[in-house]
Amino acid sequence: MEPATILVVERDILVRQPLTQYLRDCGYRVLEAVNAAEARGVVSTGRESIDIVLMDVKGAPSEGGFALASWLRSNHPAIKVLLGGTIAKVLQLAGDLCNDGPEGGLDYRLVLDHIRRLLAGRSRRSPDRRFD
Amino acid sequence: MVPSQQLDSCGPYRVLVVEDELFVRMDIAATLRHAGFQVIEAACADAALEFIESGEPIDLVFTDIQTPGILDGLALAERVRAKYPLMPVFICSGNSELEGAASQWGKFVPKPYEPTGIVRLITSSMR
Repeated sequence: MEPATILVVERDILVRQPLTQYLRDCGYRVLEAVNAAEARGVVSTGRESIDIVLMDVKGAPSEGGFALASWLRSNHPAIKVLLGGTIAKVLQLAGDLCNDGPEGGLDYRLVLDHIRRLLAGRSRRSPDRRFD
Repeated sequence: MVPSQQLDSCGPYRVLVVEDELFVRMDIAATLRHAGFQVIEAACADAALEFIESGEPIDLVFTDIQTPGILDGLALAERVRAKYPLMPVFICSGNSELEGAASQWGKFVPKPYEPTGIVRLITSSMR
C-alpha cells in the first residue's frame, strides 16, 4: 500500500525543511509548497494525488491559511486539511500523523526544538519572524 | 539512479535545490530523493541563503539563475563559494549567454534538463 501523500504549505524554509524531513522519516510521501498559490497549483492540476494538507495559519502569507483551507474544503473535500495556529501546533499535528504513519513513533518535540534553535539563530542575525 | 553505497556513510548527501518554478522543482527534488539524496527545497535564492546561514549542513547546491527576490542564483553561488570554496555548485539557466558568468562560480547546466541526467551529473561530482 502506498504511503499517504502530505502537502506541507509553509513559507519559512527553516520551518518547512525540518518539518517535511520529519514526515518523510515517518514514512510519508511529502510535497512542499511555499505559499497558497503553489498549494493551489499542486492541487488544481491533479498531477499529484494529495491525501492531507498540513499548514500553519501564517504559513501561506499571500492569502492566509484560513482562505486556503476554505478553498480546499469547498473544491477538494476528499483532502484532509490540518491547520495549526502556531508552529508548535503544526508540529504537534505532524506528530499525530507520524504516530499513525508507516514508520511511526518519532518524537516531534525533537524537531520542534530543532526549529526553535534555527529560528533563534535567525533572530540573532536578523529578527523578522517571531516564533510562537 | 545512484546506488546507495555511493552515498556518504555519514548519511545521505544533502542537496539544496533552488528553483521558483513549482513543477520543475518538484520533479528534480523527487528524482533526487528517489536516487537517495536528501533534498532541501528553496523557491528563491534568498531562502536558500537563509538556510545556508542557519548552519544546517548541505553538501551541494543546485540553483536556477533567475529566481525572485533580492539575490539571483549567481549571487547565491558567489556567496556559497565564499563560504564553502570546495562545495559543488550547479547553476542552471535557459539563457546560454549566462554560461560564462555561471562558470565563475560553478558548473553551468543548460535548461531544459532531464532530472535523471542531473542525478548522473551530481553523482559524478561526488566521486
